[in-house]
Amino acid sequence: MSESLIDVAAPEGAAPRPDDEPDQRRRPGARSALRRGKGLAGVLLIGVVVALGLLAPLLAPYGPTEQIPGANLVGPSGAHWLGTDEVNRDVYSRTLYGIRTDLVVVFLAVPIGAVIGILVGLVSSWWTFTDVIAQRVFDLVLAFPTLILAIALTAFVGPGLRTVFFVIIAVELPVFGRLTRTSVRTVREMPYVEAAHVVGAGSWWQLRRHVLPNSWEPLLVQLAVSMSVAVFIEGAMSFLGLGVRPPHPSLGSLIRDGVRNMYDAPFFAVGPLALVVALVLGLLLVSQALAEARRS
Amino acid sequence: MSHPVLEVRDLAISFAHPRPAVRSVSVTVDEGEVVALVGESGSGKSMTARAVIGLLPDGAVATGSVRLRGEEVLGLPEEEILRYRGRRVAMVFQEPQTALNPVRTVGWQLAEALRAHGGARGRAARERAVELLREVEIPDPEERLDFYPHQLSGGQKQRVVLALALANEPELLLADEPTTALDVTVQAEILALLRRIRDRTGTSIVIITHNMGVVAHLADRVVVLRQGEVVEEADTRALFARPRHPYTRQLLAAVPRLPEVDDRVLELLAEPEPEGVAHEMATPALEYDDVHVHFGSRTRGRVLPAVDGVTLRLETGQVLGLVGESGSGKTTLGRLAAGLVPLAGGRVRVAGTDITQARGRRRAALCRRLAFVHQDPEASLDPRFTVGEAIREPLDVHGVGTRRARDQRVVELLDAVRLPASFARRRPRELSGGQRQRVALARALTLEPRLLIADEPTSALDVSVQAEVLELFADLQRRLGFACIVISHDLAVVNAVADRVAVLRAGRVVESGPAARVFGDPAHEYTRRLLDAVPVPDPTVRDATGPALREHIAS
Repeated sequence: MSESLIDVAAPEGAAPRPDDEPDQRRRPGARSALRRGKGLAGVLLIGVVVALGLLAPLLAPYGPTEQIPGANLVGPSGAHWLGTDEVNRDVYSRTLYGIRTDLVVVFLAVPIGAVIGILVGLVSSWWTFTDVIAQRVFDLVLAFPTLILAIALTAFVGPGLRTVFFVIIAVELPVFGRLTRTSVRTVREMPYVEAAHVVGAGSWWQLRRHVLPNSWEPLLVQLAVSMSVAVFIEGAMSFLGLGVRPPHPSLGSLIRDGVRNMYDAPFFAVGPLALVVALVLGLLLVSQALAEARRS
Repeated sequence: MSHPVLEVRDLAISFAHPRPAVRSVSVTVDEGEVVALVGESGSGKSMTARAVIGLLPDGAVATGSVRLRGEEVLGLPEEEILRYRGRRVAMVFQEPQTALNPVRTVGWQLAEALRAHGGARGRAARERAVELLREVEIPDPEERLDFYPHQLSGGQKQRVVLALALANEPELLLADEPTTALDVTVQAEILALLRRIRDRTGTSIVIITHNMGVVAHLADRVVVLRQGEVVEEADTRALFARPRHPYTRQLLAAVPRLPEVDDRVLELLAEPEPEGVAHEMATPALEYDDVHVHFGSRTRGRVLPAVDGVTLRLETGQVLGLVGESGSGKTTLGRLAAGLVPLAGGRVRVAGTDITQARGRRRAALCRRLAFVHQDPEASLDPRFTVGEAIREPLDVHGVGTRRARDQRVVELLDAVRLPASFARRRPRELSGGQRQRVALARALTLEPRLLIADEPTSALDVSVQAEVLELFADLQRRLGFACIVISHDLAVVNAVADRVAVLRAGRVVESGPAARVFGDPAHEYTRRLLDAVPVPDPTVRDATGPALREHIAS
């Protein structure tokens, strides 16, 4: 889904057309924004983290839950780059596998929440009745701080990756719903939407062909922001023990383990922390680059 | 005092863009002179004025010389500019709506202008403000001081803007399209006022405009700009009588004109109107039957009638012009026919079908017979669609023909509006204003409508482009024979294309009839006033109409 979002935002047409007139200034699209400066830095940071996660089975010297006899809380060394934890597991391997959990959350839960939110936002903004209902529901969800919501949800479904998933969807859905509604409301007043209406196009046609494509850009920026927030949510929930259940690793739970053993093994949390920082920073850089491209 | 008030020599302004905004402009303005800078969009006329007052946008590089009474002001630091901007040179902007602060009273804003240059304060400032409002001929100036901008009409707002500019008795007044946003009758008043201010105070005026009528009305001398260069400079009478440069001739020729009362009109009047028997049988293309439209809602209080009991008929193949000033309901009537405005009373029938009754398939059928051209082609074309997609969209919506046939139709339509087929792959952004409006026209014709509604189709375009589009439009109308409503505040535009005209005022039809008759021999006093107010692009008429205008203001 995230891939197709980017496709729509940067329409084709970069191919040179020789018969064109002087005024050929193309607005810098989303794509070119990611090819330079901040955008590029962000893409590289995300790329490195994603690559590490995807290639974990090849890169990791040990399994994520494999216990190595005799290596208890040892420091970084040639054999264990990031040392081992209190139950003799290789932190480097666990960290690599932990990335995968976060990737699932970032690149699956957020887009799912976004898509549902966008659909609800679209439907709600088009008719007054649905609008009132959807907006009040959004108000309700947004009234809860994320962590309170997470704790409440955990009380019902119990801790686990699934809960993290639900929380992220629940948090992101109203965000995207609201944003979609706002940009749709702006775009639908444009004369070209009216022009389609006069031609005889129905609501669905107007939404699909005109309103949605012209509302993408703010949503794309929000997607990058929300993805970085999702990394935080996963981290916080796992840190509190609401997230991924042990022994399965995630960046959040690794940080928690690291903090618990901070006095015995201060190096422990460094790896996962650095990766969280890289991922969040990368996503924020991308969102900034996209937002700047939109403004110019 | 030997120096002229303003002397611009070889001014050039450029940006990062390869084409400079102003290449080489030299203008001299003498004491008490009114000089018009004329040109179409992109000619550099506004940039020249901005350079004079030190308001060039960031990134602009200006070279050459701008002298105010012999003092060089180009390239002065901002603090120095502040001393003369507003005091010695003042500017009147195009849009009075945005030039005034909506949350401050008129009096406060005038006092601020005085204070900024260490002028009068307190009671003295208030007295001076009253004096200024009197100077710009606002009735009851003492009361108006405590008004907020929204309590004033458009013309009054522009008068306040003018008063602000005059606050510190500037030597030079720069007016950037000061009447473009105003109705014709108001425009005439403001122009007359500007002339009187010049006569009374001896302030030199530089007026920037694209309207040749305004030039003829006001200016002593004209400087014609094109693509950042002066192409011709002459005394107003000489310029209109003997334009030397071909571009000037083209500009003058492009101005649509109103008919003169001559034998042809009188002949036409002698004939009985061809209404009645012949048309009674045929179903009219469009029929308004005692139509009412209200804005605002009854539940929330005030209801404003926008259209108040209009009955009009448009026969098949005819062109009906709707004219009127802002608030007359002309646009609402047009939007009503396209089903874009809810009807409060009466009936609207398109080719015999009541549009409020049409749903589902009947609405689709209705939409196929009807097309709408918006005022602003830039906004009415989806920026993400290519020109081809935009023109094809009506076919796609109604699922007409195969894809290949649709694309073929796009090429035909582009050809019909005299654009090359290669334009189909471009996006609206890559087109000029006139080209965009042609595309909008092509799109409107895609489904071979029987009724076309054009809402101010040329008001966003330059004069020369406007003439081209109107000519194209008239040609297509003749060839394809669709009925058409042309809505415009510009009487000359309507005169160029319409068979019949309806003059609207405050939601009612004041007068309607054949265009030649209404314009040639108006029956209603309001129509006559509208016609008189149109600035005629002929300076010799100026002296004749001048006093007449003054009478209107008095009344």
